[in-house]
Amino acid sequence: MLLMAGIMPLKDLPLVKGRVRREDDLLVIEGYRIPCTQGTAAMVSAALEVTGHLKTDPPYFVFAGDTGRGKGSRQLYQFLIDNLTALQPQVLVLHYWLPVLKLMRDLYEAAVRCSKKPVLIADAGSMYAAKACGLAPEFDVFTPDAAELAFLADPEALHPAYISKHLFETESDRHPELITTAYNNKGASKILLVKGKRDIVAAEDRIIAVIDEPDIPAMECIGGTGDTITGMCAALIYSGMSLEKAAVTSAKVNRMAGLLAGVNPASRIYEVIKRIPAALAQADLNN
Amino acid sequence: MFDNVGDAIRAEKILKNNGYHCRLVAPPPALRKGCDLALDINLVEQAAVERLLSDKVSYVAITPLAGTAELINVVQTYRYDGYTMVKAGNMKLTFEDGSGVIVNISGGGCPDIPYLHLELLGRRLDQIPQPRELGHTLCALMLDRAVEGALEIWRGSGKGCC
Repeated sequence: MLLMAGIMPLKDLPLVKGRVRREDDLLVIEGYRIPCTQGTAAMVSAALEVTGHLKTDPPYFVFAGDTGRGKGSRQLYQFLIDNLTALQPQVLVLHYWLPVLKLMRDLYEAAVRCSKKPVLIADAGSMYAAKACGLAPEFDVFTPDAAELAFLADPEALHPAYISKHLFETESDRHPELITTAYNNKGASKILLVKGKRDIVAAEDRIIAVIDEPDIPAMECIGGTGDTITGMCAALIYSGMSLEKAAVTSAKVNRMAGLLAGVNPASRIYEVIKRIPAALAQADLNN
Repeated sequence: MFDNVGDAIRAEKILKNNGYHCRLVAPPPALRKGCDLALDINLVEQAAVERLLSDKVSYVAITPLAGTAELINVVQTYRYDGYTMVKAGNMKLTFEDGSGVIVNISGGGCPDIPYLHLELLGRRLDQIPQPRELGHTLCALMLDRAVEGALEIWRGSGKGCC
């Protein structure tokens, strides 16, 4: 099972779980219709495009509505803590939610209790929580952007809003240094996929790939272009691809989808997601 | 952190009544300012805590237990053809130069960001509520700084008036 969890920006959405149906730019689950925008919805939509293309099992989703108060986030943590050992996912993706350190530790303990520890992927608030409670090395993939990489490199920071100024540097020529610092400070997962003008894939302090073509500067403006990478990476790992190759492939396919969509800074993420199947068809997934 | 014990206790009551997890603690000696009682909150919820306590309880500071005590205050600007992207910390906001309409918000990881994205997209920079008033988290505070930076640029361009 590929299990994906995150909050959705709907106040009245209770905890819902199961398979999702797509209707154009909407996700439909248990009768609820969720707009496919930046955040977990974009991550989920991209994963669905990959599993559809590869004809692998679609992901199993757990969502809860949360507009920032944290109630839905806590419901998600608790559901996973209580049910993870029964669900036995091979790959577990944690996405947008309120970082709550105690609950993240409890969730990690639940993952360890599974008969086989799932591949653990975290992005957004769940990545903040995993790093802040010292669990980064136990995770398999983090997908930070430049500011979040600085957060991972700061051994004391609890959130990217509180990082040492000397580490905050979004120019990509400093990324290798920050990656090394993040690994040295145990703030990095096994694989880091750093998203930005140049996407960088690092493993255990070693940069294994830099993806900078096609170069589409407008992609950085579009809310959700990082989320789609996370969703694709997870679905590719679930298909049996190695962590490293999945990271590199998802970064490449994301850029290609942006190119095919002809994006500009005002484009919406759904325009990119629609092009993922065509981008996957162009990508060489076998080598 | 608070100047006196009464304020700390009042703050705890306000936050708990509004559903926020918090507890009264002794502040670590290295951070001590004011009295011997502090409130342990989830730092990520700083925006909501500031809003709830403002005008009701005075406090000395909200500060992390470790690391830098200051919110990152680096705002960077990137120009595109007809658009400007403003980065503040981990948040990015893009607006159309002519109209001042927000066309995209990206970055962040806290649960109010997808909500703020839905609420603010397609609206003019000077006609939106402040993200710090609408949101609850540190990501909302960063987005607030991006909006402030964008407004300054847009108004400075001579297009953002009236």
